[in-house]
Amino acid sequence: MSVTESTSASLGAAPGAGSRPAPNAHLDLASDATPPAGPSGGPLPRRGFVRSLLRNRKATVGVGILALFAALLLLAPLLAPSDPTLITDAGSQPPSAEHLLGTTAKGQDVLALTIWGARSSLAVGFLVGLAATLVGVTVGLAAAYFGKVTDDVLSLVTNVFLLLPGLPLLVVLAAFLPPGTGTVIVVLVVTGWAGAARVLRSLALSIRAKDFVAAATVTGEGAGWVMFRELLPNMASIVMSTFLGTVIFGIGSQAGLEFLGLGDVSVVSWGTNLYWASNDGALMVGAWWAFLPSGLCIALVAFALSLLNYAVDEVTNPRLRVPRRRRAGVHAPGGGTVVSAAAGTATSRASANGHGATPVLEVRDLTVEYRGENRTVVGADRVSFTIGEGEVFGLAGESGCGKSTVAHAIMRLLRAPAVITGGSVRFCGRDVLAMPDDQLRSFRWRDVAMVFQSAMSSLNPVMTIGDQIVDVYTTHERVSRREALRRAADLLELVKIDRSRLRAYPHQLSGGMRQRVVIAMAVALRPRLLIMDEPTTALDVVVQQEIMAQIADLRRELGFAVLFITHDMSLMIELSDRMAVMYGGRFVESAPAATILAEPRHPYTRALMNAFPPLTGPRTELRGLAEGVRFTDIGDLVEVAGGHWVAPHDEPHDAPRDQEVPA
Amino acid sequence: MQFVLRRLGFYLLAFWVSVTLNFLLPRFMPGDPVSRMFARSQSRMTPEQITQLRQLFGLDDRPLWRQYVDYLGNVVTGDMGVSISRFPTPVVEVIAGQIGWTVLLGGTALLIAVVVGNLLGILAAWRRGGFLDSMMPPFLVFVGSFPYFWLAMGALYLFGVSLGWFPLRHAFSAGTSPAWTGEFASDVALHLVLPAVTIVVVSIGGWMLAMRNTMIATNAEDYIVMAEAKGLRPGRIMFRYAARNAMLPAVTSFGMSLGFVVGGALLTEVVFAYPGVGYQLLAAVQGLDYPLMQGIFLTITAAVLLVNFLVDIVYVRLDPRVRVS
Repeated sequence: MSVTESTSASLGAAPGAGSRPAPNAHLDLASDATPPAGPSGGPLPRRGFVRSLLRNRKATVGVGILALFAALLLLAPLLAPSDPTLITDAGSQPPSAEHLLGTTAKGQDVLALTIWGARSSLAVGFLVGLAATLVGVTVGLAAAYFGKVTDDVLSLVTNVFLLLPGLPLLVVLAAFLPPGTGTVIVVLVVTGWAGAARVLRSLALSIRAKDFVAAATVTGEGAGWVMFRELLPNMASIVMSTFLGTVIFGIGSQAGLEFLGLGDVSVVSWGTNLYWASNDGALMVGAWWAFLPSGLCIALVAFALSLLNYAVDEVTNPRLRVPRRRRAGVHAPGGGTVVSAAAGTATSRASANGHGATPVLEVRDLTVEYRGENRTVVGADRVSFTIGEGEVFGLAGESGCGKSTVAHAIMRLLRAPAVITGGSVRFCGRDVLAMPDDQLRSFRWRDVAMVFQSAMSSLNPVMTIGDQIVDVYTTHERVSRREALRRAADLLELVKIDRSRLRAYPHQLSGGMRQRVVIAMAVALRPRLLIMDEPTTALDVVVQQEIMAQIADLRRELGFAVLFITHDMSLMIELSDRMAVMYGGRFVESAPAATILAEPRHPYTRALMNAFPPLTGPRTELRGLAEGVRFTDIGDLVEVAGGHWVAPHDEPHDAPRDQEVPA
Repeated sequence: MQFVLRRLGFYLLAFWVSVTLNFLLPRFMPGDPVSRMFARSQSRMTPEQITQLRQLFGLDDRPLWRQYVDYLGNVVTGDMGVSISRFPTPVVEVIAGQIGWTVLLGGTALLIAVVVGNLLGILAAWRRGGFLDSMMPPFLVFVGSFPYFWLAMGALYLFGVSLGWFPLRHAFSAGTSPAWTGEFASDVALHLVLPAVTIVVVSIGGWMLAMRNTMIATNAEDYIVMAEAKGLRPGRIMFRYAARNAMLPAVTSFGMSLGFVVGGALLTEVVFAYPGVGYQLLAAVQGLDYPLMQGIFLTITAAVLLVNFLVDIVYVRLDPRVRVS
């Protein structure tokens, strides 16, 4: 229910000034550009919440049904004026014009019983929901806010109550208390609050860890203020779904208790209606009409509340929404979505082609779109480049510029809403985008392997690293498990990890070791191309150096080509043969690395280079792009010198470096 | 190991809470429920038995702490007094005779609901937008909205009374006696179908939805993308990488939901007049048989806590990350 997982920034949203201008794609280079509204990035802006909820079809149906029952409740005296408990001698009559839903064994009108029953059932349900949520919120917030001993004690109590079997406890409590509606409510709150408290505590804990709460605490706001003004509003959606959940619990359990005869059976409610129907043996004599309506009403109300709950979940976490079928690109993970556009129509003149020989990888006019509900964002826009045998090609650019999108597109790992809408990807002449599933599977890892951004999360936490390497061998090569294990051990030694660590789980390894395992895994099948998507971002500088040295060693030994992705320009220039700089889904410059270092042409390239300190030499002031500088409508690359391609830009290339001008 | 010990301590504490609750309830509830019980059943008892019951419910002159210590001692030694409605059978014996049926019914239903529900959830999340993903959740939510007992009665009427496919009540046909024969086993199985199916139908949606939602979150993890990049077969990614991780929360909620299953079984047992501790609990309440009622509640609680402890041990096997911390 909680939504704390986050998608990788590069996949989640691609702000960009691509061919289709996106209205809200403000990009500020100075800040570490995070996507403006990731699919599930923490608490939701409250304004949009209610509106999105109202647009959700499940919510509409739910609210509709509830409104119907609200009307029934209010209009009961008009709809069924007669006293529902009135006993007549017309018993067990089937539905007729006089008694639309028939009569009970005692001759009471079933319709009147059902309509009047709504009052007690709904009132108890909502009261229970309200009270249980209130207790749950208070306990959950207090536990999360005060922490330490308070949290220990409150969590303990919560967990104990959560474990005590609900209905038996209800039965025992109800048996000891004097019968009545009040008893039912108290008993239901006592057994129902713990679930709410548990969910809300863990949510409050995760919000409490965020900076704005810390800020409020530091500025000396009181406990009550922080709890109810800072924490609570950010939990609105979960509080709401908790409330809905406890109302469902309340209505259902009340009916259950009353059915067992443990409530006040003289009160008219759906539960007591069913109690009497069962007591009078309505079903045994075939009087289904005495039994059907109340049960249906309970089910309808519970269903409406569940729908609403479900809708709240979907709005909070849009990923849960069922993707529409008609949109191309709905697929199970494993396919790699391709919408074949009329590839080749927009042949780009500019390709950052360096070598004449058959390239290992040839990407031409690759275009990837993120198709949102309301707008489409271009993640990669007519991107073209080639990588030669054994060459290291660098791809630089800020977060969200589309580097990872390109990398994922090459292996067809993109998922909805990302769709490849144009261009081609050729590996040694084979069309990757046209491969059927089984070919694609054997192409992956055997021909092109990838080292992902974070080694922390790209290993399966519940499998030993040995098993994860073995998986590669047993899938791609017909080898026994024993042989695969032996090779896996050799592979670990290749990256200087002891073979005994085969049995280790990812969490038992340090960050650097994990990344080395991933690299070892990547070269397991001796691929001809290795994509490295910011392989050292999450590591400290020393480990970074070790990893880079490791990669260089492996490359000398195995001779694979590399597509190297990073925002670290100095690292890139040091490592790459040729490189390209990407911005807003477009290439802005492409040249041999030495050329870029010597004379960067595009203002954005220079800004990126100035954003990193040189390791040696005098101290210089670091500069990025000036505040608010953005580039839009980036044109195709033009060759300005041998192998040096630059996107057209207003500013002459020899302008002073500290006066960046918006294009 | 440390994790397991900590959990064990927690369950012992939870059990102590429920024992204490049991001790306090009859002593501090308004309306003096115990006197009502005595008024009703005093005539059938011998003076010694009355004295014993008086002690059990604190109607004697011992100080409260003394009563509490004695009560704890009785619970630990398994002495829960004598049933009043089934006088003079000891409570422990009444429960022992019934609990097997509850385990059979609840266990069967829970197992089917968990296995099938989770499988459906895995498949739904894997094929987003497919039939399972779009149609099943709303349908199961709808079915799950019906009260347990109402569906049970409906099924009883439809398949038992009208169609006559299944027996109407009890766990085995009248006239037969329990024996380890194929004939008796099939008779029991036939009696089990309707009660078990109603529990499964109502509870399966929750399992499916929870699994589906966890799977959707898991499918977005980097290690799933990596597994895809490795070119693994979809089935292997789905089960070994995605479902294997997504099932961890399901294992935890398995323990948590046990209390609900017992509750569901209680209502189902009542509707189908199926023997079991739930049915017996209600009978005890109606007969003002407080010793039996308390005994059953404690037994159910102990069973739920025990299973939760076992689940914790299993969880340690399933999630290597818990093992070290």
